[in-house]
Amino acid sequence: MTHSTDNSAGSTVGAPITGEQPTPRQPLLRVDDLHVDFQTYGGVVQAVRGVSFEVAAGQTLAIVGESGCGKSVTVQSLMGLIPMPPGRIHKGTATLRGHDILASKFVGGQDIRGREISMIFQDPMTSLNPTMTIGRQIAETLEVHRGYSQSQAFNRAVELLEMSKIPEAAKRAKQYPFEFSGGMLQRAMIAMAIACEPAILVADEPTTALDVTIQAQILDLLGDLQQETGMAIILITHDLGVVARMADDVMVMYAGEVVERGSVDDIFYRSGHPYTQGLRLAMPSNKRAEDGGAEQTLLAIDGSPPDLFNPPTGCAYHPRCPHAMNVCAQQAPAQYGLGSTSASNQGLSHQAACWLHHELCAAQKDQP
Amino acid sequence: MLKYAAKRIVLGLITVWFIASATFFGMHAVPGDPLTGDKALTPQIRANLEAKYGLDKPLATQYWIYLGNIAQGDFGISYTQENRRVNDIIREHFPVSATLGILAIVFAGVGGVLWGALTALYRNRWPDVAIMFLVILGISVPSFVMAAISQWSLVNLNQTAGGTVLPIGGWGSVWHMVTPALVLGLSTMAYLTRLMRSSMLEVVNTDYVRTARAKGVPATQIFSRHQLRNAILPVITVLGPAIAGITTGGFVVEIVFAIPGLGRYFVQAIQQLDYTVIMGTTVFYGAFLVFMVILVDLIYGLIDPRVRVDQ
Amino acid sequence: MSATDLTQADFAALPRQHSADQLSRPSLSYWADAWRRLRANPRAMSSLGLILALLAFVTVGPMVWTVDPSVQDVDHIGISPGADRQVTLTTPFIPWEPEALTPPTPSTGNPLGFTLAQSATTQSVRLTWADQDSPRRLYRNLFAPEDTGSFGLPLADLDTPYFEDRLDLQPETYYYTLVALDAAGEESETTATLTIDVTRVISIAQAQERGLIQPDESAEIGQTLKLAWHPLGTDYLGRDMLARLMYGGQVSLFIGLLAPLAFVFLGVIYGSVAGFLGGPVDQAMMRFADFVVALPFLLFMILFKVVFGIGPGESGILPMLAAMIILLWPAPARLVRGQILQIREEAYVSASKLLGATTPYVVGRHMLPNTLGVILVTITFQVPSAIFTEAFLSFIGMGVAPPTPSWGAMCNEGIKSMLTRPHELLFPAMMISATVLAFNLLGDGLRDALDARMRGAE
Repeated sequence: MTHSTDNSAGSTVGAPITGEQPTPRQPLLRVDDLHVDFQTYGGVVQAVRGVSFEVAAGQTLAIVGESGCGKSVTVQSLMGLIPMPPGRIHKGTATLRGHDILASKFVGGQDIRGREISMIFQDPMTSLNPTMTIGRQIAETLEVHRGYSQSQAFNRAVELLEMSKIPEAAKRAKQYPFEFSGGMLQRAMIAMAIACEPAILVADEPTTALDVTIQAQILDLLGDLQQETGMAIILITHDLGVVARMADDVMVMYAGEVVERGSVDDIFYRSGHPYTQGLRLAMPSNKRAEDGGAEQTLLAIDGSPPDLFNPPTGCAYHPRCPHAMNVCAQQAPAQYGLGSTSASNQGLSHQAACWLHHELCAAQKDQP
Repeated sequence: MLKYAAKRIVLGLITVWFIASATFFGMHAVPGDPLTGDKALTPQIRANLEAKYGLDKPLATQYWIYLGNIAQGDFGISYTQENRRVNDIIREHFPVSATLGILAIVFAGVGGVLWGALTALYRNRWPDVAIMFLVILGISVPSFVMAAISQWSLVNLNQTAGGTVLPIGGWGSVWHMVTPALVLGLSTMAYLTRLMRSSMLEVVNTDYVRTARAKGVPATQIFSRHQLRNAILPVITVLGPAIAGITTGGFVVEIVFAIPGLGRYFVQAIQQLDYTVIMGTTVFYGAFLVFMVILVDLIYGLIDPRVRVDQ
Repeated sequence: MSATDLTQADFAALPRQHSADQLSRPSLSYWADAWRRLRANPRAMSSLGLILALLAFVTVGPMVWTVDPSVQDVDHIGISPGADRQVTLTTPFIPWEPEALTPPTPSTGNPLGFTLAQSATTQSVRLTWADQDSPRRLYRNLFAPEDTGSFGLPLADLDTPYFEDRLDLQPETYYYTLVALDAAGEESETTATLTIDVTRVISIAQAQERGLIQPDESAEIGQTLKLAWHPLGTDYLGRDMLARLMYGGQVSLFIGLLAPLAFVFLGVIYGSVAGFLGGPVDQAMMRFADFVVALPFLLFMILFKVVFGIGPGESGILPMLAAMIILLWPAPARLVRGQILQIREEAYVSASKLLGATTPYVVGRHMLPNTLGVILVTITFQVPSAIFTEAFLSFIGMGVAPPTPSWGAMCNEGIKSMLTRPHELLFPAMMISATVLAFNLLGDGLRDALDARMRGAE
């Protein structure tokens, strides 16, 4: 099952949308300066404050951050899952193969959701309709986007379940969500998401609700499917271990902004932002300190995430940053390029939004 | 599914037995012999009753005779009307009440689900406000007042129209059924609307609806397959007790609209203290309600797979 | 962002502020938070106000409006509120001798010569008409014949050209219609209608008897007095509506509040025991509750009424209360049991037990307070249900026995005269509706206020 990138002359149901073809330099999905806020009776919550990123075909982009940093809102607004009366995209663009997907989720008369770009969610038990069989729910995608008949779609659903390594797929397809375990349900969700061979799969904390061994299996499954289909994955997580295992590129978010981005190596070995460093240092390790592991005491980042009704002035991280300077409280820093040293030119260039990289400062501080 | 149904039915039969027994012992707790009370019974009735019920025999024997009769579907003979069998009374009048009740339930159920879904989808906009206002009226005005007011409006309507647009009472044609069924179903419909509204509001915000949107499922399909099917579950749950409410409400509507149903007969029997009719009708109604609740449970089991697989 | 304006000083270290962990708002207890939420809900607050007003109406009201609800005011049978309460003093009834009168002559506008012989009072309305060759039929109506299309109540067929009407005369406007009958005895087209306003009169002796004139007061014929004031009118027996509403409210609210409190209390005990014990005991207890639910309510009402031996003159409050309490406890029991089962599995219960808490402590400190919210909401919603039940039972004659008033019984009586005297039905119905509405809205508000914590802030 290879991902077809041929342009078909007429637009048939199920064919990918025509448009720019992703090349190593031209990304599949490009998001530019996205701003999303929510009008609530308590005030305006600025959830996403100027996020930009790109996703290339076959690559995995990990979006990392604490709860409430805006990572879910970012991808959900791309998928049109944010209710627009309280929510509002008041600035920014997002294009998929050059087509604007913020204005409308319909390109060429077809809904791209489930077809070009699919999403799986954190809690599979609540994310599936309890009164429909798994098979029917997977089949639904195929019926809607590819016009399959009910039996055709159901048979294909069984095949997809097998591809997701669910044993006794034919029997399972006739069962209901409550008869599945958490890990199996997540596999079923993945099967449902890849049914129409999407170009991008968005996974919003897919393993957070599962235990560690199942987590590994799910991540392996995702990796295998990516190898087979060549789809891009946007993986949202707060777990750096998952990032290390899966990601090609990483984007670190804090308080609705991107504080650092780059290849996975850049982020782990050459991080340029105090927050990223804090996250890394907070990871527990099973190696003893003498052997190069982390300290015995668990390090945490002081303080709590900021109130999004009233974000801090300047750099949002400054109240918690050990290197905070006067300018950090006054002005928000620009994105400073940190010179990518990754071998391939396909990854995101390494950037960090931190005053520490300003010329006036670099002289003073050492690299941590 | 079969096991679920069988379990329900067996339980239902036991419940009917319980009702019959409670009725029997209840009536016999009445001080004094019902026969020698204020009612002056004709010798004919007296003879019939004694033969039928063995009223001179000990209580336990009477109880067995009673149960036996009921198991054969025989409810006895009326106290106040010579040789009129309770069974015949039920057979004659129940279909009328059943028709009225079914119409009212259909009206209440369909209306409740529809209005409830509408208010949830258009939350805080004008359809929501308008419907909720009517709902509040529906739950706060007693049914007999509603019945009386509707009759009065019909009188006025007929007068201004110069003829009979809708009959104000009686039974016989489809037109006779319209107003009573509407009035009877109104308070239940209001209650179901509220229930459906809160259920729908919950469902609209669930994760699985979000997943369906992320799948690109069109809005109409999301509504029918994902939202409606799950939101309707609590409504079906209360449908059983709601039928009981419709049954009692039916008494009032039958009286006000002069409909020859079993309910009106029952109320008359109460006022005349016609014991056999009271007992027979009570057990019959009890059994009927038990049966309806089982039916509703089965329908619920068809829609929500969680109940039939686990138990 | 002018990075060029920055100086070295800007890059000096920022002094640490430890404001991150300060609490922004004082923390509230569960009940304080719920009350705050309730206060902010305008519908719930106005409902609460309405309920308090109703309670004041039935408790304090009778002390202010001290009219006896069972006293009949014969002058004022079935009057509407704001009806004219003037009465003119007159002589005692003087029999009429119409034979001595000269019959009126017919005129072009009035071919039957139908006229009023003397001024019309509630003592009698005396009518006369021209000499007749065929019998006449006299009708009386409260509404104009051209509006209703009907002449009204047939009073008599008459061979003599006069009639004295003394039938239940009220100080209203009556429409008398005289119809000439033809040779076959059928009604002809020749009719005449008179619009007559009847004045209320009583004799001086009657006035003194009823205490309208003091014995030493002077009274003259033609003097007008004012009768007792009935701000909401009277019913078909002449009893003051306002007083009846107050006393009826006492009965209705007594049953409406007491019965739910009682059977919910019973249900709470039963349900918590069942939920706490769990297992087969719980199953058995719930089966029994299901059986009780299946019992027919009406039958037991009757049974209790008979068993308690309610004769005429005794109010039927006790059997109604007993029936409600004995038959309605399963619903709250089931609810509380469900709550307890849920709470039992909560982490804080396990934590408490691990810390060494005894069972009574866990039940009293953790389980019951967390069910109080549900219980409170249940009670609030059962009150309108109980009031409706009482009204329904009174409607079919199985409720409180007359003369004890209750709002339901008043509605029952009011329906009979709905078309002519709508106020008799309107006022008790409005009372019931207002009470039911208020409790429903309050219940909604309470549920929103109390559930918010349970479900996680919405």
